[in-house]
Amino acid sequence: MSEMTHLLSGELIGEGDWVTVTEICRLCRIDSEAMFELAELGLVSPRGATPGEWEFPAAVLPRLRIVGRLMRDLGVNVSGAALAVELLESQRRLERQIRRLERLVSEPG
Amino acid sequence: MEYRDYYQILGVQRTASADELKTAYRRLARKYHPDVSKEANAEERFKEVQEAYEVLKDPEKRAAYDQLGSEWKSGQQFRPPPDWGSGFEFGGGAPRPGRRSGRARTGAATGGNEETFGEEGFSDFFSSLFGGGSPFGATGRHGGRDHHARIDIDLEQAFHGTTSTLELKRPELKSDGTLEVRTHAVRVTIPPGVTEGQLIRLAGQGEAAADGGRAGDLYLEAHILPHRLYQLDGRDITLTLPVAPWEAALGASVKVPTLGGPVEMQVPTGAQSGQKLRLRGRGLPGKPPGDQYVQLKVVLPPATSPEAKALYGEMRSQLHFNPRADFPGRGEA
Repeated sequence: MSEMTHLLSGELIGEGDWVTVTEICRLCRIDSEAMFELAELGLVSPRGATPGEWEFPAAVLPRLRIVGRLMRDLGVNVSGAALAVELLESQRRLERQIRRLERLVSEPG
Repeated sequence: MEYRDYYQILGVQRTASADELKTAYRRLARKYHPDVSKEANAEERFKEVQEAYEVLKDPEKRAAYDQLGSEWKSGQQFRPPPDWGSGFEFGGGAPRPGRRSGRARTGAATGGNEETFGEEGFSDFFSSLFGGGSPFGATGRHGGRDHHARIDIDLEQAFHGTTSTLELKRPELKSDGTLEVRTHAVRVTIPPGVTEGQLIRLAGQGEAAADGGRAGDLYLEAHILPHRLYQLDGRDITLTLPVAPWEAALGASVKVPTLGGPVEMQVPTGAQSGQKLRLRGRGLPGKPPGDQYVQLKVVLPPATSPEAKALYGEMRSQLHFNPRADFPGRGEA
């Protein structure tokens, strides 16, 4: 059972934006304590003199959403999720490199 | 709708303890988690596991589920009993206003979501028994919650922008007091330049507020599908371009495909296989836009015809080229 409705416009988040801790917590579904711990671990770097004024580049949102999911879904703690996300990113980088090299050596066509 | 055997999904006995359920869930969640898993259908399987655990970890939901009886088999046609939820302390409570859950489609791509506490992406079976609108739905709160869903997008669509159809599922109360999960489709425009993992906000399309407060937003997390030719890294794109030996050696102007259409590119004199050239600003749009990298791949013509053999022979005698010059003993036979 399906009915068509009007056309909605999607708004891209992160076009050079800076986001506050409150916004990150909402978008990544992590609590502010975890956010401060992640900054302390150096996974993300804020601008702003005090934690109350902290802002982060919106480009950190994808990795922080993964952190949030790993914590919620797998029950890992903040430092475990930070380690996992760095390992996952490094794995993706290596996989991309492998695919590029494969294309270089594979048979034409 | 089809019955779901939550015990079977988690691979446990109906008598499993809370600890056994947790261990089974954690093991399967690690195996199928969409952020880590390489398994086929990981996302779908993860959703099932999450849905099963959502019910079985909660003693009240589990007791209600168990009351359906153990005769049901997964996939059997099922309707919720009319007295569903009665006998529990919240039984007979007013059903909650509609909640929405996201399932996104662009072309053949489907989305799910990662809401642990909600029913987004869960089955109709779950929604009608335990979702918003059911006696087990969340209690009223000011303002609706945000909803989150994944959306798969082709690289071309990410470059040009696209319009995608989302199916939003919402349980609704029928006149006879039973619940029905209704699906309604919305069309969404996605602006050009979306990158892997980026969020797209659809304001007011999340959970409806119970008390006239502000509805939550729906967030779509973009995932860019692999492309036959191009490889994406952030906003940058890499293309492997086959070139002839004389194009690499002498330099040449060649036509290179980009997402925005073909462009002419100068291959420098003396280029080698594996060398990377940059087409500035030809990656995904943005501020600043990404670049396209062109990785050259020198392809040798086959020496099948007498003419080709003669040319290769001439190169051998004229060029004095030893590709193994750096080897000990200069690589000579």
